[in-house]
Amino acid sequence: MKKKSGFLSKCMPYAYITPISLILITFVFCSLIVAIIFSFTKYNIIAPAEFNGLFNYEKLLRDKKLHLCILNTLKITAIAVPLQILVSTILATLISTRKDKLVGKIAKAALFIPVLSSNAVVGTVWKAILNSRNPMVQTFFGIFGIDPSMLLGSSTSALVTLALIMVWKGMGYYMIITLSSLMSISDSYYEAAKVDGANKWNLLTGITIPMLKPTLILNTFLSVVSCMQAFDIVYTMTGGGPSMSTTTLVMYAYQLTFKGAKAGYAMTVSNVLMAIVLVIVLFQQRFMRREASEI
Amino acid sequence: MKKITYYAGNIFLLFVALLCVLPFLYMMIMSLKSTINAYDFRFSFSAVTFEHYEKILSNSTFIRYFLNSVIVAAAGVALTLFTSCTAGYAFAKLKFKGNDRIFLLLILTMLVPSEIILVPLYLIVRGFGWANTFKALILPLPTAFGVFIMRQAILSVPNELIDSAKIDGASDFRILRCVVLPLVKSAMLTLAIFTFIGAWNNFTWPLIITTKDYMRTLPLALTSMQTQYDVDVGLTMACSAVAFLPPFIFYLLLQSKFEAGVALSGMKG
Repeated sequence: MKKKSGFLSKCMPYAYITPISLILITFVFCSLIVAIIFSFTKYNIIAPAEFNGLFNYEKLLRDKKLHLCILNTLKITAIAVPLQILVSTILATLISTRKDKLVGKIAKAALFIPVLSSNAVVGTVWKAILNSRNPMVQTFFGIFGIDPSMLLGSSTSALVTLALIMVWKGMGYYMIITLSSLMSISDSYYEAAKVDGANKWNLLTGITIPMLKPTLILNTFLSVVSCMQAFDIVYTMTGGGPSMSTTTLVMYAYQLTFKGAKAGYAMTVSNVLMAIVLVIVLFQQRFMRREASEI
Repeated sequence: MKKITYYAGNIFLLFVALLCVLPFLYMMIMSLKSTINAYDFRFSFSAVTFEHYEKILSNSTFIRYFLNSVIVAAAGVALTLFTSCTAGYAFAKLKFKGNDRIFLLLILTMLVPSEIILVPLYLIVRGFGWANTFKALILPLPTAFGVFIMRQAILSVPNELIDSAKIDGASDFRILRCVVLPLVKSAMLTLAIFTFIGAWNNFTWPLIITTKDYMRTLPLALTSMQTQYDVDVGLTMACSAVAFLPPFIFYLLLQSKFEAGVALSGMKG
């Protein structure tokens, strides 16, 4: 009897972790394996897959459309990430000095509203605003000399518009992360520095920025990874157009699978993206660890 | 000088806050205007109409979308809480072979961006014959992030409490249910909200795995509305408002939990 309960209690922990393990193994680990296997095949999701060796990987090099999509994805990332980090950090600093004031509370609450709404809603609403012939909207954009209804229609401005809307949607998120790390900097550092006669600029460059550095690095990487996989906002706002100028890598993989019946090649494309993201993540880990050891 | 920069900061913050709120205000106003004067931009309270809401709420397809969203989000929250609490408890408090290694392996899945594995995930789920089922919409929702949050929270539960419950002869499961979980309610609430928002707002996965109208969720209604009623801005905005309001109401009620959750999700990196 005693032996049985001993055996049972040895097995119980595994029972606790089985549900989540099963879910993650089937949906995540298996997906990665399936993606690798099928990337060596020709597969249109209906007929059985045919092995075609490295054909898909060779095609990556020749595929002009893919190169365009990589370029688009990189452009979105290059526009959105620096802006997002800069704006969210400025906002967090401003809010942290006003955290008990009404202004700070209003700003914090308002900034988070775009974060919690879905990309589908954000895309739909912004599209409606830009396409409406609302005189107020037109005057607002008129200040900058822009015709709002042209923003999504022209292939030069559509990508920039999407990137800016992504900044608008995400800045509250990074602001909260930065704010919580700003709050965790102990006041005693500042007081000690003030006693030593440091001015505001010294405090900023000597304490705030170094203490904030790990958070800023983290935010940058989170933002890069989320920009690299932009899909739903693109899907709702432009559908990848005009003339592929906003087709991102994930969008391209989606189109290949469901519109082009080239699921095998689509997974090759996703694998490239996965590899890029993995390199970024490894880079981040390296970076963060070095930061941690410096402090 | 100090005063001036301070007030300039205030003005900047208020401007950004306005910029964040205005599109949603536009959505609400347009959804309350009749189609005829959709392009007449004066707003008067006497002209407020609920015709768009009446129209979508009497549309059985839309109701179905809404119900699907509710079912998926609720079941997703329940499943995530169950799997994360049990696993979080095991990883935090139970001794078994490979504890740390299995935990690390599961946490590694957080590095895999969800949009990247869409196509293979679609093939796997379709292979199970689950296309257009609730199973397909719900089962992939739990993530390692939930386990991470719950493990972190349960680690702070004092071992003495657990040991004394053990001496009283309580089983592991009973300890989890009656001793541990009541102490980590706050973390559970944070996790529940995040899972709810994520499931409710999820767009890409339902788009891919459902092809039949009766299995689609609310965010998908927005894109199909756009193509069906391209001219009717009011109707699209009313749909957006219905999709937007549940997370927004939760946010109004539980603002601090949201911030705690975001700060935590920053930690996972």
